[in-house]
Amino acid sequence: MEMFTQTIAYGILVGAMYGLITLGLGLLMGVMKFLNVAHGTFIVLGGYVSYWLFTRYGLNPYLSIPLVIVVMFLIGLVVYKVTLSPLLKLPSVGNRLNSSMLITFGIIYVMDNLMTIFWKPDVRSIVAPFTGRSLEFLGTKLSITGLCGFAVAIVVAVALYFVLGRTQFGKHVRAATQDAEAASLCGINVHRTYLISSGIAIALAGVAGVIIVSSYSISPNSGLRWLLVAFVVMILAGEGNIHAIVPAGLVLGLLEAVGVFIVGAPYRQVVALVIFIVILIFRPQGLFRKRRLTYG
Amino acid sequence: MLEASNVSAFYGDIQALWNISLAIHGGEIVTFIGSNGAGKSTIMKTIAGLVKPKGGNIVFEGIRLDRLPAHKIVELGISMVPEGRRLFPEMTVLENLEVGASTRAASRLRYSNVNWIHELFPILKERSKQVAGTLSGGEQQMLAIGRALMAQPKLLLIDEMSLGLSPIVVERILQVIQEVNRTKKLTIALVEQDVGIALSVADRGYIIEHGRIVVEGDTKLLQGDGRLMEAYLGVDLKGKTE
Repeated sequence: MEMFTQTIAYGILVGAMYGLITLGLGLLMGVMKFLNVAHGTFIVLGGYVSYWLFTRYGLNPYLSIPLVIVVMFLIGLVVYKVTLSPLLKLPSVGNRLNSSMLITFGIIYVMDNLMTIFWKPDVRSIVAPFTGRSLEFLGTKLSITGLCGFAVAIVVAVALYFVLGRTQFGKHVRAATQDAEAASLCGINVHRTYLISSGIAIALAGVAGVIIVSSYSISPNSGLRWLLVAFVVMILAGEGNIHAIVPAGLVLGLLEAVGVFIVGAPYRQVVALVIFIVILIFRPQGLFRKRRLTYG
Repeated sequence: MLEASNVSAFYGDIQALWNISLAIHGGEIVTFIGSNGAGKSTIMKTIAGLVKPKGGNIVFEGIRLDRLPAHKIVELGISMVPEGRRLFPEMTVLENLEVGASTRAASRLRYSNVNWIHELFPILKERSKQVAGTLSGGEQQMLAIGRALMAQPKLLLIDEMSLGLSPIVVERILQVIQEVNRTKKLTIALVEQDVGIALSVADRGYIIEHGRIVVEGDTKLLQGDGRLMEAYLGVDLKGKTE
């Protein structure tokens, strides 16, 4: 029984983090129909920024998050301006999606090599005084880094949902997502809305990187591992269904934890990918219902 | 107020407008009539900035429009109700109205303008929290017009207002349009397939055929000229459509 509650608690902490690492990917996909294959690589870059601030200035990784957000937001603006915005001229959404995959695939190579030059190919992680320590709560052990990751994930997700749901900017984003031309007729600068959304998406990847470099480790090419997880969560949530991403992350985290509990830890990734395949076969539209309405 | 001279526009290789010159005067209701595919909607889209003209120029209150992006044209005071309404179907009625007031000037007046739209179309107040995609066709058209008015336009372009709506609803919307024209001195350009409706509300009309303006004049004169109506619009002498 104690083992089982431990498993569930672990699944929830990991699941919230899975949600966090998917938010940026889901935002780009949901708003602009860009599939950012380099999402995992941007996560790693965010991790390096935090790692660098920690080793150079001794900055606590969780306190470095605002700085990481600023840096990654600016990088996101550049990425949109230079590589993604030209794709908006393409005639169809399908073209846009395919081309964005190719372009971001290229970005992976450029970034992998740049990160190798700057930080060497070694595996890095932040080892702070609290690393490896855990709190005991009703007989369940919870690692401090896991709890912090969970808290960051919830705060970031709530902040994103607030921005999209309640602010004027969020309304502009949703309007541009549903009908970009009609949005421009309402006086919305759609390109600017896309630009800022891209900045936010890459900043979200950066925050996820901070959590990963604190709880796990990074190396220049470790982005693929996190990209795969983000893909699974995005499919679980349903494409374009940004609000379901954190719940979907929790579902994956719990299923994976229970699966590992039954078949053993070496099969962790197998469990996730089996879940992925099963979802694609039986519920390709995702687990969560989205209000999809057409014109009457 | 708005003057277009020698405007040509293309969809890909196909020319949709041929040297169109027209003027819209402040305070009037002007209509563009003609058969399907004649280019009426293209004129609207070109003014609103959705279609960029290849030749000619469009000047609105002394400012050239034809090189500006659509959202800048809204800032200058031109709003368009697009064909097919083009609401944001997954947003609520109120949110659709709020998004209509996205320019800096309009967003300051957002609350008073929402109240004004609710007075014009009380049904939109009742439906405030409802998602726009669930509205009936007539309610959607009211919302689309309300959303366009939220931008505080000086010139309102309405594309295919009556399409797919029942006569009673059309009558109701026309009343509001005329009221806004009278009380707010709002200039309105109307594209209509239904010639009867167009001529009944407009002060002046342009008849468009194959992307060219063939006749221009007072609606009373246009209505009086039976041969004209018959030749260009398939309307017989008693004014009934075929």
